[in-house]
Amino acid sequence: MARQQVLEKTKVSDRMFLFQPCVGSNKYPGLITSATEFFKKLGIELVTSDDQTCCGGFLTFTNVAQPTSTMPAVARNIAVAEEMGLDILTLCNGCHTFLTEFSHFMNDRPPVKNVVNVILSMIGREYKGSQDIYHSLEIIYKLKEKIRKNVTRSLSGMRFATHYGCHYLNGFKKTALDDPHMPTIMEELIEAMGGEIAEYGENRTCCGTGLTQIIINKETLSLPHTKMKLDNLNAAEPDAVVVVCPYCLAQIDRMQQKLNYRGSGEYKVPVIHLVQLVGLALGVDVVKLGFDAHAISFKNFLKKFESVQAKAEVVDG
Amino acid sequence: MHETNKEWLPGFDKKFAELTHQMVKDLEKCLQCGKCTGQCPAAKLSSYNPREIIRDLRMGNVDKVISSHELWLCFFCSGCYAVCPRDINFPFAVSMLRYAALAQGYGWEEVKEIKDPYAQDYYDTGLSVNVNERNLGVRKEIAKNSGTDGRIETVRRKMGLPPKRKISQRAMSEIRFIADATGMTDLFKEIDKKVAKEKSWNYGSPADLVEVRKGPNQKFIDVEDEEKERIS
Repeated sequence: MARQQVLEKTKVSDRMFLFQPCVGSNKYPGLITSATEFFKKLGIELVTSDDQTCCGGFLTFTNVAQPTSTMPAVARNIAVAEEMGLDILTLCNGCHTFLTEFSHFMNDRPPVKNVVNVILSMIGREYKGSQDIYHSLEIIYKLKEKIRKNVTRSLSGMRFATHYGCHYLNGFKKTALDDPHMPTIMEELIEAMGGEIAEYGENRTCCGTGLTQIIINKETLSLPHTKMKLDNLNAAEPDAVVVVCPYCLAQIDRMQQKLNYRGSGEYKVPVIHLVQLVGLALGVDVVKLGFDAHAISFKNFLKKFESVQAKAEVVDG
Repeated sequence: MHETNKEWLPGFDKKFAELTHQMVKDLEKCLQCGKCTGQCPAAKLSSYNPREIIRDLRMGNVDKVISSHELWLCFFCSGCYAVCPRDINFPFAVSMLRYAALAQGYGWEEVKEIKDPYAQDYYDTGLSVNVNERNLGVRKEIAKNSGTDGRIETVRRKMGLPPKRKISQRAMSEIRFIADATGMTDLFKEIDKKVAKEKSWNYGSPADLVEVRKGPNQKFIDVEDEEKERIS
């Protein structure tokens, strides 16, 4: 689908349901706070619910629970948002994939939907399939011009490498906002906020998490793959690498520590989620961005960022 | 050697009728162009070969694929789907084939590693990622960067958040009901029974956050690395 068609279908509402990711809650809490804060600045209220758990789809594609078990688990989470009458905004490629794929599967097959609803009726819920599910990247891109106007701390002078992750673009090659081979949406967003792009060849390769490979084949597949990506990334000398998925964030951030620890090189590229970057540009309090929870320090990044800001003020003055 | 049996695994296509028929139809569209393997991150580093797996399945070598180690090397990056001129969703087929492998007694070791701790955490806490950090090396870095003890609860408090994300009692009883009613809990028990393996890691305690001499430099102990050394 052409980008224009996807954008036309994307509805931005005043209130949206923020689907909190597991990694974003228990490893990088800054994702949730910065998203909430900057969307508030743009006039959009993000609502969360204590009834929302891990999406659950993860368990099926890692083969620890059959689709018959996870289908109602995913539907239950969607039903929580439906009861509030809100469209869902996800921060994670995984949550987005599983919620979207499972809801398509149920919506296209009434018998499956009916069986799921038999189970949900026992806990007093119902899956209707009435609400839209969006990746935060789609909503942020739709708001690009509004973000450009609201930038209070320009990213000019800073160089960013991008990493789109696999599941948003590859898995949805027919319905995603951009082409899976040569995407440019994140670059356009960074440039809209004044930043520069550091291009590198391995942009479109997997971060190395490989869904289960980080667990079952860590030494032979996951780590070597991340190292290859990082070596290529480092050659481009970015100030930070921007991701749209907390799993990519965790992998690229934490594996740098591991490789450093093992003496496999010196890796120190800070990894930042797009919602943290937009939060930074829109003037969200740095403490709320949650850089404290990252394994790779943001000290040098923030130092450079502040000196660039100071220079900009002198020019403006 | 090709097997004579050209049928898909007995019972497999019946059990997942709707899913597998699509998979069989999909795989039969394959042109054997090899674009999938050309871009595959797992193929770059191992003997994994999506094109060959599809060919084997179409030649009727189902058992070879089901019993192979290669079946467990897929990254699920969907890159093969993105480049496929016939729109074959191969990672989806891999997932289904893995269920078939489990039904034949293969792959339980791999599944056990995912069940503990991730799936168990989902059942126990509602989130599949634990609030505690397994890698003490990472905790040391976070401690250094944030000026705290490196625990995520502390960092969250510093940000003005409650130490743990709240999951309601209702949500917990609901997901446990779904897990119990649909056989998820039984499958967990079966995994534990088939692979009686003690967990090989721990989350560490605050007292573990001590400097330990290891290698040429004074560094923090890394629980995962430490465990590898003890095993080998």
